[in-house]
Amino acid sequence: MNRILALIKMDLSITFGLSAIRHKIRNRNDMIQMIILGIALLSLIPAYLMMVSGLSRIYYAYLNIGQKSMFLLTGILACQVIILFLGILYVMSKYYFSNDLNILVPLPLKPKEIIGAKFISLLIYEYITTLPLLLPFIIIYGVNENANILYWIYSIIILVFLPVIPLSISSIIVMLFMKYTNIRGKKDLLRTIGYIALIIVMIAFQLKMQNLAQRAIDNEDFLYKIITDSTILVRSLGIVFPPSMWAALSLSNLTSISGFLYILLFVIASIAVFYIMLFLSDRVFFQGLIGNLEVSTSGRKARVKSSDFQRQSPSCIAIAMKEVRVLLRTPVYLMNSIGGVVLMPVLMVISFFIEGEESLSMIKMLLETNQRIVNLIGVGFIVVLGFLNSVCCTTFSREGKNMWIQRVLPVSTKDQIIGRILSSMFVQVIGIMVLYGSMAYIRVLTLEGALIIAVLGLLGSIPVGELGMIIDAYRPLLNWDNPQKAMKQNLNVIICMGIGGLYVFGAGFLIYKLMDTVDLLVIYGIAAAIFIVSSLILYKPLEKIIEMRFNSLE
Amino acid sequence: MLPLIYINNERGGMMLKLQNLSKTYGKGSVKAVDNVSLEIRPGEIFGFLGPNGAGKTTTIKMIVGLLKPDSGKIYLDNIDVWENPMEAKSRISFVPDTPEVYDKLKGIEYLNFIADIYGIPKDIRQERIEKYLDIFELRNAVGDIIGSYSHGMKQKLVLISALIHDPKLFILDEPMVGLDPKSSFHLKEIMRERCNEGKIVFFSTHVLEVAEKLCDRIAIINKGKIVALGTMDELRRYSEEKESLENIFLELTANE
Ligand SMILES: Nc1ncnc2c1ncn2[C@@H]1O[C@H](COP(=O)(O)OP(=O)(O)OP(=O)(O)O)[C@@H](O)[C@H]1O
Ligand SMILES: [Mg+2]
Repeated sequence: MNRILALIKMDLSITFGLSAIRHKIRNRNDMIQMIILGIALLSLIPAYLMMVSGLSRIYYAYLNIGQKSMFLLTGILACQVIILFLGILYVMSKYYFSNDLNILVPLPLKPKEIIGAKFISLLIYEYITTLPLLLPFIIIYGVNENANILYWIYSIIILVFLPVIPLSISSIIVMLFMKYTNIRGKKDLLRTIGYIALIIVMIAFQLKMQNLAQRAIDNEDFLYKIITDSTILVRSLGIVFPPSMWAALSLSNLTSISGFLYILLFVIASIAVFYIMLFLSDRVFFQGLIGNLEVSTSGRKARVKSSDFQRQSPSCIAIAMKEVRVLLRTPVYLMNSIGGVVLMPVLMVISFFIEGEESLSMIKMLLETNQRIVNLIGVGFIVVLGFLNSVCCTTFSREGKNMWIQRVLPVSTKDQIIGRILSSMFVQVIGIMVLYGSMAYIRVLTLEGALIIAVLGLLGSIPVGELGMIIDAYRPLLNWDNPQKAMKQNLNVIICMGIGGLYVFGAGFLIYKLMDTVDLLVIYGIAAAIFIVSSLILYKPLEKIIEMRFNSLE
Repeated sequence: MLPLIYINNERGGMMLKLQNLSKTYGKGSVKAVDNVSLEIRPGEIFGFLGPNGAGKTTTIKMIVGLLKPDSGKIYLDNIDVWENPMEAKSRISFVPDTPEVYDKLKGIEYLNFIADIYGIPKDIRQERIEKYLDIFELRNAVGDIIGSYSHGMKQKLVLISALIHDPKLFILDEPMVGLDPKSSFHLKEIMRERCNEGKIVFFSTHVLEVAEKLCDRIAIINKGKIVALGTMDELRRYSEEKESLENIFLELTANE
């Protein structure tokens, strides 16, 4: 037990960077960064307050139809599903790709102990992140109900056990996934494809469940039941994720023995699933982990041939090629860049597919009447992917310890910029292809649309790419030993999404305003002009910042 | 050989000149390099010695464009390295003390990348790369990704990549560390060869025998300052009894 406590303590201090924060406060530059981060967080408060007041309106809406327990279910279900999904990402990086594994694995520790400690540290992380989401639900319900002490006690128990089942399920999925994809030689590719497939399957499953629940409500005598049974909605929709239902029912049946039984069920189920997860970890954790650092070699096949020597290509192309190769061969980069641009359009189609034929044909009708708006939305979609792909806003960070190569080589800043923009274009082209496929599937793709989306979409990806590079050149994250840090845990990605989002929102708003007065063909022209002008405006500062950074690094 | 070199020099030929270089890291107060001036002539192998933390790597990084000097100038071929980095860098190649290269690229892809950047046409790059692949016995590995290489293999790959464009100035930071005896023998040969062609080799090392045997001139740096400079014979004159470089080194870098 002591060992586990020590492990948890170490893990927490690494995860939350306690000592790093203490160190940072002393450094002025980092101080400014912290202040900016603080302001960004503060600016979220109005939005948060709006959300809370919106929630209390939802509470009254449910109250009016006599289904107020549904309000609780909404909150609990949302939290648990979010934990389940994001948990897959967290668990994967925490269990299999974190730096401390090199130290922990050789120590005489059981997998159970390592996983247990890592699980608890994730759990604490989940408490911090889900509390702001769940607390308003609990408080709004409790205050309006004039709840007694028992309500608050139950609430605390629910808060404590809330992340356990979803996080255990993600752990189990990830451990099995890692075990069965641990095949020599094909691991990286297999895992990337499998990972994307896994997310698609999970989302599809989730949507299908919702669809089923919806069907139950659409039933004939359901209206009658709603009047007589105050928990019918919860019990119909709760089948999506039963533990959430148990928690909601325990709070809404506080006074009866069934409330107690539900919370007991919730707690026992949580503990049981946790132990199943631990039990499993002892059997499969190492099998997924072993050989993670191994790289396959091809023996004599690796000999050079004359064809291996390429014709000379310009510096910018050489840089773009190198970027793309590294992107394609590093799973974390692949998932976050290409994974993103493939997933988004596919998810769009899946959600149509699950919704059923009727909604599909309705949307189609809506879109067909206004083909050019469809095209503009497509362009906007590609521009958004331009910063969601995170290629440009991590391009220098991804160099990491290899940055010296870029700095000693005689490459002009112009070639650096063009090469790196080109590598983002490569990812964008994949995104465009998948978008074409998705659009063709819901039959809204035209030749004109394809052309407009390709031309304007790529053009619009240039300024957002430049923007990302400005951010990354300004504060590159070079000192990492795990590629996760360069892309997934890089604050630049979030900053870029914020600023890029504002840019797209601004440009989109402008075009939307013009839509009524100007012909859509002219709007295409205006969009192109906006993209070109902003690319040109951003180029000079970008060049300056890169030169400054390349000179000043130590 | 020597007279030829001086003729080159008078013509304003290829030469590396460091003028009053100083560098202090971050907000530190200790000068890592303190007012260093050196002139290295074409055809010279120049050895840079000094105890740990003396400022060797710092000096080298300033020459290759990785660290901006606080003050002082560096000229190569009369080009100010920090004013005209593109021109200077296309004449320099650098082999760092730790071979950090793109783990996910294949060896041959990395070499092609470097050749592209230096604008080396296909036939020339093929000839040079194959020559060095044979010398360093890396022919069977260049098709694999660099992540699968051993430390020494990575180092050899960086060496080869640094030789592709036939640089006028070849700078190496502790090149012998981690190389097997055969490879370091070949490396020494290559260094010698380059000097015979009138190019400059500048390297730091802790291996005094290598410096003694290989170098035309040697500088010893201690706490950021050059404490001795000259040929082996000239260094011996620093002190009568101290015959070996080891003794000279130990005396000059002793903590007073
Ligand atoms: N990145 C850095 N930040 C701060 N100080 C540094 C940094 N790199 C080196 N120093 C300091 O600069 C001085 C010179 O270091 P340098 O690396 O040049 O020594 P060196 O001669 O190469 O030593 P070694 O033989 O160990 O490689 C040392 O005092 C060292 O502490
Ligand atoms: Mg050094």
